[in-house]
Amino acid sequence: MHLAALCPCQCRILAETRAGRALPGWDRLPRRVRDLHWPPLAVVPSGVTLRAMCSGKLQTALLVAGYFVYLLVGAAVFQALERTAEKQEKMAAAQMKEAFLQNFTQLTVAEMEQFMKNLIEAIQNGVYPVGNESQFEESNWDFSNSFFFAGTVVSTIGYGTLHPKTVGGQIFCVFFALFGIPLNIVFLHRVGKMLSLLCKKLGKFLYEKGMRKKKIKFLTLLFFLATGILVFLCLPSVFFQITEGWSYSEGIYFAFITLSTIGFGDYVVGKQSDRKYFSYYRVLVAIWIIFGLAWIALLFNLLTTVLEDTEKIIVKDLQQIGKVSKDSVGSQQRRCWPVQFIPEEELLPPRAGGDAQKMESLTADSEHTKNEKKVFSNSNTIALTC
Amino acid sequence: MVAARQRRRWGVPVLLAAYVGYLGLGAAVLQALERPAEVQAAQHLLREHWELLTNHTCLQGPALQRLIEGIIQAYKSGITLQGNTTSLGRWDYSGSFFFSISAITTIGYGNLSPSTAVGRIFCIVFALFGIPLNLVLLNEIGQLMLLGVQHCAHRLEEVFHWQNKASFLMKTCALVTGLLLFLLLPPLLFSDKEGWSYEEGFYYSFITLSTIGFGDYVIGMNPDRTYPSWYKNVISLWILFGMAWLALIIKFCINILESSSDFCQCHKQNTEMAEDFMDGNKNSMTGLQNAEISSNKDTKMKEPVESHSYTAPTEAL
Repeated sequence: MHLAALCPCQCRILAETRAGRALPGWDRLPRRVRDLHWPPLAVVPSGVTLRAMCSGKLQTALLVAGYFVYLLVGAAVFQALERTAEKQEKMAAAQMKEAFLQNFTQLTVAEMEQFMKNLIEAIQNGVYPVGNESQFEESNWDFSNSFFFAGTVVSTIGYGTLHPKTVGGQIFCVFFALFGIPLNIVFLHRVGKMLSLLCKKLGKFLYEKGMRKKKIKFLTLLFFLATGILVFLCLPSVFFQITEGWSYSEGIYFAFITLSTIGFGDYVVGKQSDRKYFSYYRVLVAIWIIFGLAWIALLFNLLTTVLEDTEKIIVKDLQQIGKVSKDSVGSQQRRCWPVQFIPEEELLPPRAGGDAQKMESLTADSEHTKNEKKVFSNSNTIALTC
Repeated sequence: MVAARQRRRWGVPVLLAAYVGYLGLGAAVLQALERPAEVQAAQHLLREHWELLTNHTCLQGPALQRLIEGIIQAYKSGITLQGNTTSLGRWDYSGSFFFSISAITTIGYGNLSPSTAVGRIFCIVFALFGIPLNLVLLNEIGQLMLLGVQHCAHRLEEVFHWQNKASFLMKTCALVTGLLLFLLLPPLLFSDKEGWSYEEGFYYSFITLSTIGFGDYVIGMNPDRTYPSWYKNVISLWILFGMAWLALIIKFCINILESSSDFCQCHKQNTEMAEDFMDGNKNSMTGLQNAEISSNKDTKMKEPVESHSYTAPTEAL
């Protein structure tokens, strides 16, 4: 019979043992884990409760609240920063309209509106009627542009300066992305591995020099951040200053918005009609984007870990402040689902388990099942999913 | 060890070739689909209406050029010059909120984007911390969804004693429900409220939920339509849950891809720590760090601490 133990901190802990009341594997866990989760509150029979896990409701609620607060604060700040500039631009545009109408009085307002409507329709279809007619020969959908577009779809950057307008193109785009995005992620995964190999090599080198572990960690982290920012954000901005004529801050803004895959599309490389670009310009930019995407994914992973650790600390503190009653089984029952609680005294003696095969992976992931089966091959091991 | 490293090095060129090949294929197909329509649009719109208008009003060349450039500039910064109407939510609070969502979910429509220098710097900082926050939240939601499915599957097993069949049935059910709820039914709402066709609504749904976010279709931006007050809030919730669901689907696709590539290159033994670190990286890109990864991390905690000395910075914390 398998037994599951639940820790009072309500995190997703599931301790399995075939030995009965005691949890013999417990003292083999590192102290940090034990301090966080010990002592187990109740030991319950197996079967259904194998997959019963406490849902960490406090953690989730805190996260959702934090997320919405973050959004609200950001919205207020953006509004404050941008509103006045927008008003000024609107006035300038209206003035331009007025001035034009005054200069060409034979044009009525209605005709002007019609003209602008046609023009905007043309722009929305990607045709810019600036300059002479020879520019109409260049297409937005030649192979090089389409290739770049396919890249922006698959990396989920999605600038939007070029987008499919036919129904067939749109539906194809959906299915292309559905298989392209996983392919892209797997690819970037490998590139990220290559990048982190560099950091590991540095760490090994420093370790052999006899530096302490904490110092090595700190230095490799610093190296990772500094070289990444230099190579992927600062240097390309200088490069774009030369080739695109943007200012330095615009270049950094473009670099970050592209590499984080937000991709507003207000700045795009290679799209200015009055500039000459050397022939392998976009290939270079594509290579930069690939490595930059992998680096920024590593950076976001780092920040995510920091965030989750901070969240756990906050939750732990909150629980220590507001603990109601640690030993009340009833309150536990309300917070956990769908667990049945049986006091320790009533436990049945352990039986030799043929139930090992009944255990399925928690996330239905084949890799996870492999790991779990490895972990549970010993009779007294404990799997933690916190 | 050397053999394993050699086998690992095989992976990148093959993957690179597959990646570039896939892009090239997509580019060719899109070109074939879109080019004729583009040519047609250019001819129709410009040649007829444009020339007609210039002939009719006897406008001078340079002034007209300047006007056109001015209009294009205004359009790009999102200002509509037609009439007196202002489209729903530019930089008022509702519009800024929607902008914040599009930034930290990395959708990035672009129909609204900061034009002041301070706004841009703030946008960078805001996104730098907002994107991990969003990833963590999506991870939570995805895990809750998976838990729910597991729970239901187990209930079914209990009641009907179906063993493995219940889990499979539950998963297909969950997939179909998700498809309906997030991809197939919302286009109906959009065709009612926005006036798009069903295919356009479906295209918009997928492009938004996969965070590509072209910005060619954006909800609530039509100045000629009135939207109910609950509209944008419901759509925001839909985006959140839909993104978590689609991230789960994509994660399963990735697992299929990875397991098939492993099969091709006999990578089954490669579970050294060196490679498992980057599983976290992979999952951050899909926004999901499932229990598998955390259990990997935690089982590693039982190993001696020295082995952590050369970890990549992402595992250093």
